Amino acid sequence: MVDIRLNATINGRKVSRDAKPHLRLLDFLRDDLNLTGNKEGCGAGECGTCSVFVDGMLVKSCLMPVAKAQGATVDTIESLAKSGELSVLQKAFHKAGASQCGYCIPGMVMAATAALRANPFADREEIKERLGGNICRCTGYQKIFDAVELARDVQNGRLPATALLETDTADGDVIGKSVRRIDAPSKVSGRLKYAGDMIMPGMLHVQVLRSPHAHARIVSIDTSAALAMEGVESVITSADVPGKDGFGVFVHDQPVMAHDKVRYVGEAVAAVAAEDALTAKRAVAAIKVVYEQLTPVFDPDVAMREGAAVVHDYAPDNITKHIPIRVGDVEAGFAESDLVIEENYSTQAIEHAYLEPEAGLAYVDHDDVVTVVSPSQNITHHRHMLARIIAKPISKVRFVMSPVGGGFGGKEDMIYQGMLALLAMKTMRPVRLVYTREESIISTAKRHPSRTNLRMGVMHDGRIKALAMRMVCDGGAYGLSTEGVMRKAAILAAGPYSIPNVRIDTYGIYTNNTPSGAFRSFGALQTQFATESHLDIIAERLGLDPFEIRRINAMRDGATTHTKQTLGSVSLMRALEAAEQASGWEAGAPAVRGETRGDLGHDDVRPSVTLGTRFAAGDTQEAAE
Amino acid sequence: MLICDEYLTPTSLAEAFAAMEKNRGRYRVVAGCTDTLPWAREGRAGDVEIPALIDVTKIPELNERQVGDRRVRIGAATPIQRFLDDAALGRAMPAMPRCAVWFADDQIRAQATLGGNVVNASPAADATPCLEAHDAVVELASAQNGKIVKRSMPLRDFITGPGKTQLAEGELVTGFECDALAGFGGSFEKVGHRRSLVISVVCLAVMVKLDRDGRVIEDTRLAIAGIRPVPRRLREIEDLLRGKKLTGALLEEAADMPLDLVQSRSRQEYRRDVVRGFLVRGLIAASRRAGASPDALTQELEAAYG
Repeated sequence: MVDIRLNATINGRKVSRDAKPHLRLLDFLRDDLNLTGNKEGCGAGECGTCSVFVDGMLVKSCLMPVAKAQGATVDTIESLAKSGELSVLQKAFHKAGASQCGYCIPGMVMAATAALRANPFADREEIKERLGGNICRCTGYQKIFDAVELARDVQNGRLPATALLETDTADGDVIGKSVRRIDAPSKVSGRLKYAGDMIMPGMLHVQVLRSPHAHARIVSIDTSAALAMEGVESVITSADVPGKDGFGVFVHDQPVMAHDKVRYVGEAVAAVAAEDALTAKRAVAAIKVVYEQLTPVFDPDVAMREGAAVVHDYAPDNITKHIPIRVGDVEAGFAESDLVIEENYSTQAIEHAYLEPEAGLAYVDHDDVVTVVSPSQNITHHRHMLARIIAKPISKVRFVMSPVGGGFGGKEDMIYQGMLALLAMKTMRPVRLVYTREESIISTAKRHPSRTNLRMGVMHDGRIKALAMRMVCDGGAYGLSTEGVMRKAAILAAGPYSIPNVRIDTYGIYTNNTPSGAFRSFGALQTQFATESHLDIIAERLGLDPFEIRRINAMRDGATTHTKQTLGSVSLMRALEAAEQASGWEAGAPAVRGETRGDLGHDDVRPSVTLGTRFAAGDTQEAAE
Repeated sequence: MLICDEYLTPTSLAEAFAAMEKNRGRYRVVAGCTDTLPWAREGRAGDVEIPALIDVTKIPELNERQVGDRRVRIGAATPIQRFLDDAALGRAMPAMPRCAVWFADDQIRAQATLGGNVVNASPAADATPCLEAHDAVVELASAQNGKIVKRSMPLRDFITGPGKTQLAEGELVTGFECDALAGFGGSFEKVGHRRSLVISVVCLAVMVKLDRDGRVIEDTRLAIAGIRPVPRRLREIEDLLRGKKLTGALLEEAADMPLDLVQSRSRQEYRRDVVRGFLVRGLIAASRRAGASPDALTQELEAAYG
């Protein structure tokens, strides 16, 4: 390799140093200069958390080879608050509550800075356009736009600088008040260190070999060529697990790395720790695995059939969890109903897409405590599981929760922390693993895809007499949170409605797909999508207003749920009223609405999407200029 | 991950060709790198090791811009952002600024080059229909026996299919020569799954020149992409419109011409609906920007296609 001698001005300081020719500007800034304020979220120019200024132009530093910065002036998020004093925009982000997980925020602040430099008077639409290259997964963007508008108005003198100051709330008086996040300054300045930003002296870099097959027996793994490579410290496989292998939120069915067989494409098979990530990558490519293909099963309904491929020997019927709920006599309820309506519903797998890909750092400390630092959403449970896996007393295992750059349930699983712990133990050096976006998508949990059959019996006046639901979910290759998701799905399946006769069955099924796991709403979405859609369909059939049919059946204070819980107070009626008012709802059955509806076209209705606000001033007769 | 042993940044054509000759069979030419870096990732090309990357963006010839009365010459390394910054360029190519705001996002278009967009030859490339509407000619250069040899060909001959061009081994695209269309009003219509960073499902470049009163279409240029393997000029529609009085009925007649434009592999019906709407909307917008008489098109028509 021919290093590049890079001469540039970075954050106001002259820098002259050698850089590897394949580095992206982002790698050079983060790894070589330790300027970790700007992050890597996707590595493909999609998310914008790496946005920096190069000669005054905002660019995505993950798409720029470092050689392009030769002789350039580069400014990162660290340049905006050099002396510790936040910029007007950073203060506005703090004031407006525009940072949540914070991982997108350095890029957002940079893009907002660029937007207001390009047009200090940009209106909200133009701000949206100019921030179009940056993705936030938490905030829904509104608070970010609020922050940019606030900064704009302060900069232009339309608002006093005091508008950026703390809101005064009396001591303890916080309910219903806008309270500032105390961690926001660390996020808007880029100073908060996520796991992928952390370094330790002597740290090794970890890369993972993943299965290309959905279902295959591992005949042999030959790591000798990888181990022989210069710079490679250690290569581990399932055989290196000293204790009882297996993790999972409910059932410990997932090995740290594939043991005997692989069950999904992307499953970890081996891991390498090396002096740098590129060496580790090359060592991973040098590991030879011989697989014997097994018949895979990808459809949960097929997996439930007799004779289907078995994913886990302990569950020959491929059922991870079945949750049944029985109340009253459902068939009798249907018999006395005026109308019985049946429909099928399905939902798809969804990726959490938190902006921070999984990352972690592990080391064995001076007292032999195996320490794992990662954005885990469940460190206490991870600690107990890891102690068993590495055969250490709990006092010798420590988990540190690093800032979570978005989780949404997707970081509940101990999917990589075990590999880090094993490598730290084997090498007695700190080790760090940072997932790529592609790795994050291929190997971590998704929301359970579902198929639901739903039957409801109703009277002409709208009262529901019976509900029968059967939902089959694709749990994928490992259990993860499936059991809990199935339970919550079943418990909430009949909604907040008083129904005398209920039969609910939810099934989480093993397949050779990517594992499904926890994801916001934890199963409630899948069943309630069916139930609520069904109520709308029934309302249409009965000529009832959709709000009305819900009020007719609503649980009231003191109601007993389908799982025999007594509810002291039920807020459903108030929630319905608030939703009805806020949506500008026009009463009536769904069938009577449509072309004549009057709730569209108001100021609060989002107009169709277009681009080009920046041309607005000269929109007519441009040719005549 | 894109891995190279050497990253070369030649500052002249001669230097570039020397580097290409020296690394024959083991180099790749790059410009903005906004497509190359995402290409070298898992799920696409994976980890790619290329011994020499040759970056052509510092070659002066590839950064030239000359705006004349009849022709415009644009260097291949011109970033898409220049069509928003350079007013003279924007006037001579009136659909290009509109195209530029839809191109990737504010940051990527600061890096991405016109030449890169053409050489990649994506069926959904945003800049190519604009260039096609300008009767663009591609300028090519190569070194033969130590001398730089140039040739040129129309863009429509240069792009032969998805990802396929007539670029020869050892050859570089140096620039484009286009019709200067100052006085035309321009529009660019695009739809994808969202506004920024999105691949066109349909994109359409429209330019219209009206008479002094803003009532008669003196000339017009239209080209469409995203719906077939290569961009397509819409000469049938141009011929229909040229010399006619600007009316809503005429624009709808143009949009309804049975041209069977959509040859995509997917979502054909949706795309046909979009193409029809885009033709009318693009023509309305371009006409308005060309100074259409306020009463030439009805408010209802503009509202229907706005």
